[in-house]
Amino acid sequence: MIQTPSSPPSAEIFHAQNRENSFFSWVATVDHKRIGTLYLLTAFFFFCVGGMEALVMRLQLARPNNTLLSPNTYDQLFTMHGTTMIFLVVMPTLIGFANYFVPLMIGAKDMAFPRLNAMGYWFLPFGGLLLHFSLLAGGAPSVGWFSYAPLSETPFASSPGVDYWILALFALGIGSIATAINLITTVIALRAPGMSIRRLPLFTWMVFINSFLLMLAIPALNAAIIMLFIDRQLDAHFFLPSHGGSAILWQHFFWTFGHPEVYIMVLPAFGIISEVIPVFSRKPIFGYEFVAASTVAIALLSFGVWAHHMFAVGLGKPMDLFFAAASMLIAVPTGVKIFNWSATLWGGSIRMTTSMLFAVAFLLQFTIGGLSGVTFAVVPIDWQVTDTYYVVAHFHYVLFGGSLFGVFAGIYYWFPKISGRLLSEPIGKVHFWLTVIGFNMAFFVQHFLGLLGMTRRVYTYPDLPGWGLLNMISTIGAFLLGISVLVLIWNMVVSLRRGTVAGENPWNAWTLEWAASSPPAEHNFDQLPPIHGRRPLWDLAHPENQDEPNASREKSKETKMDKNKVGMMCFIASEGFFFIMLLIAYIFYNYSQHPYPGSQWLNPLKTGVFTFCLLSSSFTYWMSEKKLAAGSHNGFLLWLAATLMLGGTFMTGQAMEYWELFQKGLRAGTNLFSASFFMVTGLHGLHVLIGLIGLLIVLGLALAGDFKTGKTAIVKTIGLYWHFVDLVWIAVFTTIYIVGVRT
Amino acid sequence: MTTRQWLLSTWDGNIPLIVGCIAALFFYAILCKLKFSGKSILFTIGVILFFIALDSPISFLAKGTLFSAHMIQHLLLVLIVPPLLLLGLPVPPHRHILSLARWIKLPLVAWFSGVGAMWFWHIPAFCDAAASNEFIHSLQTFSLLFLGILFWRPIVGPRTEERLFPLTGILYLFTACVACTLLGIWISFSSVSVCPIFMHPANPSILPLIQGWGLTPASDQQIGGLLMWVPACLVYLIAILFLLRRFYHQHGNAVPFPSKEKRKK
Repeated sequence: MIQTPSSPPSAEIFHAQNRENSFFSWVATVDHKRIGTLYLLTAFFFFCVGGMEALVMRLQLARPNNTLLSPNTYDQLFTMHGTTMIFLVVMPTLIGFANYFVPLMIGAKDMAFPRLNAMGYWFLPFGGLLLHFSLLAGGAPSVGWFSYAPLSETPFASSPGVDYWILALFALGIGSIATAINLITTVIALRAPGMSIRRLPLFTWMVFINSFLLMLAIPALNAAIIMLFIDRQLDAHFFLPSHGGSAILWQHFFWTFGHPEVYIMVLPAFGIISEVIPVFSRKPIFGYEFVAASTVAIALLSFGVWAHHMFAVGLGKPMDLFFAAASMLIAVPTGVKIFNWSATLWGGSIRMTTSMLFAVAFLLQFTIGGLSGVTFAVVPIDWQVTDTYYVVAHFHYVLFGGSLFGVFAGIYYWFPKISGRLLSEPIGKVHFWLTVIGFNMAFFVQHFLGLLGMTRRVYTYPDLPGWGLLNMISTIGAFLLGISVLVLIWNMVVSLRRGTVAGENPWNAWTLEWAASSPPAEHNFDQLPPIHGRRPLWDLAHPENQDEPNASREKSKETKMDKNKVGMMCFIASEGFFFIMLLIAYIFYNYSQHPYPGSQWLNPLKTGVFTFCLLSSSFTYWMSEKKLAAGSHNGFLLWLAATLMLGGTFMTGQAMEYWELFQKGLRAGTNLFSASFFMVTGLHGLHVLIGLIGLLIVLGLALAGDFKTGKTAIVKTIGLYWHFVDLVWIAVFTTIYIVGVRT
Repeated sequence: MTTRQWLLSTWDGNIPLIVGCIAALFFYAILCKLKFSGKSILFTIGVILFFIALDSPISFLAKGTLFSAHMIQHLLLVLIVPPLLLLGLPVPPHRHILSLARWIKLPLVAWFSGVGAMWFWHIPAFCDAAASNEFIHSLQTFSLLFLGILFWRPIVGPRTEERLFPLTGILYLFTACVACTLLGIWISFSSVSVCPIFMHPANPSILPLIQGWGLTPASDQQIGGLLMWVPACLVYLIAILFLLRRFYHQHGNAVPFPSKEKRKK
């Protein structure tokens, strides 16, 4: 919000005393703490929505052959429940905590890009709204949270529910990538002096690694849903086997995103646990390095095991074998963590606060979920139990018993920091026990139901011996969970009004966020404590017994990287993965013995000329940067204009080619060549267009004389993007025009 | 012929190779002044694996019979043997011995040599030529070893001051892993044969035996691709974990991102 002093504010909200807590101040905020709070509140709202959906489903399943819900309504409910809980609850909650606490933990004033941060948040309500708007527009999506093709294609899902699902996920994905880039840049560029990467609190470290996962996994989802959208809106058939498409490719793309997603939802929870357990055991974490390194191992392995979601597809024995082995391997770094947490508890003076109770329950329940996860890596067992309630039990143990218990531990741990008041411990204990009992009642029995053969995603079940009883237990458990959420809300309301005032550091914790006031001031810290170890507040309180007594006190030699450059590099990496997915799709559909008609009309020579224009624009931009560095403003403008001209020429060439192909009757829906060709070149063209807009902005700023003061970071940043767009075109040109064209 | 008989009978017993390996160990012993250490074990394992890659049944099968065997050989030569040899080397006493041209030390060049070694030799024409022609095969072998050494130098090279900063090294290895994975995915899923020569093995007498192992040309190629994809990435992953270990053990002056002046040195 920019207010020039010359124009007196008209509305009351602009007055300082009213600004603090007005509605507008929350909407327009760029403060990471407020944005974090907004994330948490929005996610909690959707948690109630998704939970209600689950309760209605459990009501339907309480008795065999129940007719409370129609099959179609039931399908919509489980789709919405899954999508809501994953994209609108678990991810935003963890991102919200990250947003609030990462800058505090590293001693920064705010995130690296506060406005981008606000944008990332506002995509969340926007995406949630888009998803739920489908209810008014002909019914919610009813094809499961993974929208398996061809079920999600127009012939089988003709209502626009899936389209809203796609748009919502796309919006949410953009928001998540933006926040991930922001978090990475914050950790790299804004650490306080002394807070070396080696000393990052584990929560921050895991959020940091997790942000890389987000940044690289979501592009795979984006590529997949764009293809599905083209199928549904432009009559292409990427995933329709009846027209030569491949339904399996959807599964590959989706799980390329989907498996890292599993870890995206649990790594920050690991981080919360790694903060909570040491504090309430009064011991530093056991084997910090192992916890940190195993996070990296999990992150890397998570990209290589997606095919274990697809054992039932029939990928062939070699494929099953390798992925079974890789999937079992990922249990190793996870197991390492469990041992580290247990060893931290061992011999500590444990304080069983509610937060700690949730953390301990997390350990046990996540281990159960992890072990049932390992059973899926055994291919024959997977074949036996796939699509049964055994799977439902497994992932609820991981996501509810794991992630959400971590979140609850985090809520009890950090609530005093956010609100300034402690949550009530007695009510907290009631909340905890209700949650544990309800959760285990609801989901433990589902292991047995699954092994007995009860299939998931079916609205009812026959009256077989035991099934009714087990389902009734599960339903009662689910309702206990519902009550437990009410208890949590009650606890928050009561504590906000009458809770014990927390003070700066109610838990005697050691990380930097506890050095700020509760709630922290807008600028976070009045004065940072000195940082020469992993537990700055411990070092402060115990100068005689420091963690790193020999740590050099001299001024840190770290050089800060430019945040714009880091942010842009991350964005480029993310976009690079997106284009890799698109090119894989192109190769998949077109590199075969029998190419689809249409590719013979491509003219490599003509496009080659325009390619030359685009590539030389990279050179001219480089020249313009050199001129700027040399102080020649006019030379800079000249070369910049040349860059714009060359970029424009390339776009004209693309437009001409499109026109010619249209003339010959080629449409996106004609065949798989045309669909993939228009998709890849079109999306690249879109990026060139964005680049041109960026260049125009640079030109405008240059004409306004902005760069005469020496602030030229934006020129370099836009330049990186422009070179990237050219680099992508080299890959696209090679794939489509050089290797792809057969005469 | 049973598998056992066959396994015993297909060792090449290539005299120059044996002599070369022994000579390498001999020179190594002189270089270390006959001092035995953990490093010598690594170096010796490296030489033994090199010998196995080129003399064992793997080598026999790699010459036009089994694509997956070719892949094992390929991966041993690029990913396993070079880091073992480099880790085993003692720190060179004088800068001018074994010092390479300046441009070859650039991390980007090193990265492209490693990734290029993977991709180049799986262009169908080159892959076929190497599997059928003895000369090109040895050319392939030595280029793989050489490029592999170039690739691993910034990570495990004997001169610690020339190694990449661990976090940069992680980026280096991660991107290499991605490039390797893409190739692996392409080979595993491609309906087109990457090395057509393996579709029609030169040595038909062995075919019944291979069929007895349950391998068809299609599944053979799939295994080849998967080897490049999953186990190869595990090698990178292990290296990344070692880099993290190195990162956490460098105490004292923390320089997460080396300043420009330092890099120029």
